[in-house]
Amino acid sequence: MTGTSQGWVGSQFHRKEDHRLTTGRGRFFADIVRPGMLHIVFKRSDHAHARITGIDVSAARAMSGVVAVVTGDDIKDAILPMPQPVVQPALPAVYPKHWPLAVGKVKWHGEPVAAVVARDPYVAADAAEAIEVGYDPLPYVGDPESALADGATLVHEDWEDNVIFEMDFTGGADADAQAAHEAKVQEVFDGADIVIKERFTCHRCGVAPMETRGALFDWDESDGMTGWLTTQRPHIDRLALSDILDIPAEKMRIIAPRDQGGGFGVKAPFYREPMLVAHMARTLGRPVRWVETRQEHLMAVSQERDQIHDLEVAAANDGTLLAIRNRGLADCGDGCEGVYWGFLMPFLGSVELPNAYDWPIGDIKVKVAVTNKSALSPARAFGELPTRFAMERAIDMVARRCGMEPADVRRKNLVATLPYTSITNEYFDSGDFIKVWDNLMAHADLPGFRARQAEARAAGRYLGIGFGLGVELSGVASELFVPMENQPGYGAATVRLDPRGKVLVFEGDAPGGQGHETTVAQAVAQSFGIHPNDVVVTTGDTGTTPFGSGTVGARAGSYFVSAAVQACDFLKEKIARIMAHDLALADASPADFEFRDGFVTYTKDANIKKTFREAVERIIMAPINLPEGESGGLEHTAFFEAEKPMIAFNADVCTVEVDIETGQFEILSWTTSEDVGQIINPQIVEGQMQGAIVQGLSNTMFEEFVYDENGQQLTADFENYKLATAADVPDITVTHAPTPCPYTPLGSRGIGEGRPSDVPGTLCNAVCDALEPFGVEITELPLRPNSLWRLIQAARGDEAAAS
Amino acid sequence: MYPAPIDEYVRPATVSDALAALGRYDEGDAVFVAGGQSLMQAVKARLVRPRCLIDLQAVDGLSGIDAGADGLRIGPMTRYVEIAGHGGLGGAYGALGDAARHVGDRQVRNRGTMGGSLCWNYVAACMPPVAIGLGATLELTAAEGGARSLAAEDFLGGPLETAREENEILTAITIPAAAGNAGSAYKKWGLVTDALPVIGVCVSLEVADGRCAAARVAVGGLATGPQRAGAAEAALAGTVPGDAAAIGAAMKAAAAEIETQQDLWADSDYRKQLIRSLGAEVTRNAFARATGGEAGQ
Amino acid sequence: MSTTTVTVTINGETFEETVPVRMLLVDFIRERAGLTGTHIGCTYEGVCGACTVQLDGEAVKSCLMVAAQADGHEITTVEGLADGSTLSPLQRAFNEHHALQCGYCTPGILMNMDEFLRENPDPSDDDIRHGLVGNLCRCTGYAHIVEAVRSAAKETR
Repeated sequence: MTGTSQGWVGSQFHRKEDHRLTTGRGRFFADIVRPGMLHIVFKRSDHAHARITGIDVSAARAMSGVVAVVTGDDIKDAILPMPQPVVQPALPAVYPKHWPLAVGKVKWHGEPVAAVVARDPYVAADAAEAIEVGYDPLPYVGDPESALADGATLVHEDWEDNVIFEMDFTGGADADAQAAHEAKVQEVFDGADIVIKERFTCHRCGVAPMETRGALFDWDESDGMTGWLTTQRPHIDRLALSDILDIPAEKMRIIAPRDQGGGFGVKAPFYREPMLVAHMARTLGRPVRWVETRQEHLMAVSQERDQIHDLEVAAANDGTLLAIRNRGLADCGDGCEGVYWGFLMPFLGSVELPNAYDWPIGDIKVKVAVTNKSALSPARAFGELPTRFAMERAIDMVARRCGMEPADVRRKNLVATLPYTSITNEYFDSGDFIKVWDNLMAHADLPGFRARQAEARAAGRYLGIGFGLGVELSGVASELFVPMENQPGYGAATVRLDPRGKVLVFEGDAPGGQGHETTVAQAVAQSFGIHPNDVVVTTGDTGTTPFGSGTVGARAGSYFVSAAVQACDFLKEKIARIMAHDLALADASPADFEFRDGFVTYTKDANIKKTFREAVERIIMAPINLPEGESGGLEHTAFFEAEKPMIAFNADVCTVEVDIETGQFEILSWTTSEDVGQIINPQIVEGQMQGAIVQGLSNTMFEEFVYDENGQQLTADFENYKLATAADVPDITVTHAPTPCPYTPLGSRGIGEGRPSDVPGTLCNAVCDALEPFGVEITELPLRPNSLWRLIQAARGDEAAAS
Repeated sequence: MYPAPIDEYVRPATVSDALAALGRYDEGDAVFVAGGQSLMQAVKARLVRPRCLIDLQAVDGLSGIDAGADGLRIGPMTRYVEIAGHGGLGGAYGALGDAARHVGDRQVRNRGTMGGSLCWNYVAACMPPVAIGLGATLELTAAEGGARSLAAEDFLGGPLETAREENEILTAITIPAAAGNAGSAYKKWGLVTDALPVIGVCVSLEVADGRCAAARVAVGGLATGPQRAGAAEAALAGTVPGDAAAIGAAMKAAAAEIETQQDLWADSDYRKQLIRSLGAEVTRNAFARATGGEAGQ
Repeated sequence: MSTTTVTVTINGETFEETVPVRMLLVDFIRERAGLTGTHIGCTYEGVCGACTVQLDGEAVKSCLMVAAQADGHEITTVEGLADGSTLSPLQRAFNEHHALQCGYCTPGILMNMDEFLRENPDPSDDDIRHGLVGNLCRCTGYAHIVEAVRSAAKETR
């Protein structure tokens, strides 16, 4: 172990989680069993859009080992439908009514239609296969433009149209104000030297963590419901399940397994499957478990992005950005998904469209349509990967028109002074974008690269360099979270001191690999002057942890750790007050006591000290002769909320070589420059960066959910939904240019969530830079050799594609 | 997902026991399992629903590589890892190692077999075009004790189709020795590293008097099943090793004569481009091996 | 339901179990032997590698076999990698280089790389990356895994 006890924050402390995870002792969802546990398997729709004409469950029910078979009609009067207020945003949208199983008709290929509960999972699968569902097909609504066309088939028949959500982010509240604003923006465009106008499309792709979803519920008449759930937000699940199933909240306990195999957003929504599992556990009075198959996962969730942006940028000849106009359109699937409803991602994506550029004015609108696909579910780089792709590509196009280096256009237009409020009303609290950018350029060696590029071009090889950058949320402040998700933004932590001088920390959020047990232990250890191994962290159990809105939006380094530090500060003051009393130090204030190296020391006379254990044991175990007004015990829950929303910032550069004959390309290098504020654990920060950028690359180059012309999902396995392998991606060089956040106790920022968002733009910019002699401009994702080859063929205009 | 119910698992020790087990079931109800790396996917997806699995792992004499003066004899149960690590498969047999080193991943190569791949004949597989490109002959043994031999190109039909009769088992793969200086090479392209081939091209050729005396060109990854490119073979004959234009023209001929399809991974025009670019590269590598040089990557 | 008796040695301990013929090896390991370090990440495709174990010392995907195929063989799972309480150099390196985040794919990667290092005692980074193709990881971006394997190779040589 390195460092003194005061140096834990910022030190490379090897993770506490790893011993169990490298020895097969992790406890993941599918490892949890209950005596007498039954297994549930869903029967899912073969059709994208069809009326259910009948369901024959007789063969399934007759199978030996089958305990129950249920359909939508069986449960629609037993379970309240969604939406329920706790998982419904305060944004003006239409919220589709739905139950865990389809009622009347199916709206996407893979929607749950029925379910089997059996003693053996193999038998449950046999029985699900034996259920026969009659369908009367309806027209497939397969893209947002046809969904919005006149006379389009309605996805939700009780709606007036297929619009779930639309918003004007810049024009004001009413139509008159919006029209006036649009005219003002148009004036800027009319007078601009340069106008870029492009349609940028981003395909449907997402996260697909290695562990799928699961739910296990156990009902007991006296204790109520205990549920183990793969989730990033157990406290929200608890409230929602309690409402839906009409079980009093105090009788509902949700436990997120200590180890979760990745989430990246997809384990944050309130999904329909757990509702049914819980309902069946209560109905049958026996524990019931559902372990999602990968096929179910890729059919039902992990699908995000899927946005189209008609983006216009006005600029001056010197590269100054003057105005932006964007019409976003998103395909949110059927929208039946608690908390997010498929449209929150495109909503936030539009909020974050302006990125870190200082736009004088803008006109930004988004419209989200429902279709016959599974609802978009959140994915890291929440909604903003498509808008950032559009923005970062557009900046390069402006640079090309100005005859400037794209890097220079970026630096020229970066927001130079913070705090700052964007044209979409996003607040940037602190940091130094220029410093991060200049650090990147110091590592980029742009002149050297241009020389190598020219040399290579002369030899018939095509090298390119690309830049991108991004502002990310560092936690989600209540100011944004309450309207957006009807949830509080504060971070919460309970710190409980043990009579033996150890510390227990309780976190209501539920991590999935981010290393919370280690980072918070480092922060708490530093606070109390003890060793991180003396800090034990419990996460995600609503029976023991304080309320938290979940492990989402980079809330750990920003909000959760800050709450833990505040709780430590509270307890340290109490320890100091009682110690001053015990030692009769009449003039001492809490600030006169230092917690270090396992001792609490009176700094005005270092001979006066107690071991940390003595100091806390006295208060917990011997609460006599206390100062007036003090009580025994040492436990405190703190709720941390910064006054304003907070951000983190990064900028990236990559280089590529493109083979113009095949459209295949190689990433030669990738460097990122970050402001993550005060780093708590550099290895964990670097791991987040490496992993996030590779997710962005994998999204950009390999992953795509494909539906055929009838809405059949063709990519519901890892043979067809391709993830990047180790041999497909580069090592990332991670560099830092930190500015401590003034609004968190440690100066830390939350990082990792939004980080993939500038990756597609950065990569495509490099590829377009390489192909600059041909004038290739990429506007569509994914970026695959086949599509790039087509662009090169078209640009070269020589030999026909087929020869 | 789980396999549909299976009644019986058997692990015969001899070819005749394996065929006898097969004979106890109606057609299609019993399946041979070699490495199982493709078959088990289909069994788990319930696309194949066998009543009996006949595991060939213990059958005597089905595994191993014998290199002799008249060519190679490869047991069908020989795993990719053994082919990839075999020291004697350069030159004329170079394509075998090119393919085996990049099939799937380490775990797949530790289980998957050459014979299994040929009998499954998946649309996107490496061994079918390699077997055709190398002029392999497949030896099939029938339950009645009879045996017959078929050229790989006659054995391999459209995707998932072979000439194997229900009562037959593949017992050997033989590859003839080359007449003079020969070399072969194989390369595929897929979206991610070592993915199933969108297109895979195998070229084997003989060099005499400084020119290509004879060539075989085979292409995999096609909806029509693995194909020979006869026009390309003819065009390569007489070509001098370093003649990039002639090699390019030959592969252009290959791309022109082969019907390609569109799927999730590539459109049909891009498949033709892959035939051209991969074909040129493997032809260069095959020439290099034939003339005693090292093949490029 | 048709059953068969399977006798396998897992991490040195012999298990003799009567199981359905169709039971997958990965389910045998998890449910019958109670060794839950071996994970499942696919439906039927056998691509992710989280279920990788060693069969007679070779890395294989235990989801692409029925348990009966392993009858009479020796299996090592991640639980058998450490020597008692002493972690292997590879396990230690994974901790020291932060080669895991959620840890779901880690057991499969360890079982593959453990054999890989026996076969390739002095691998290049490209060798390691190529060796990892059968193991998907969604968290790390792989760079730290490569570092850890490289470091374990050095220590083991």
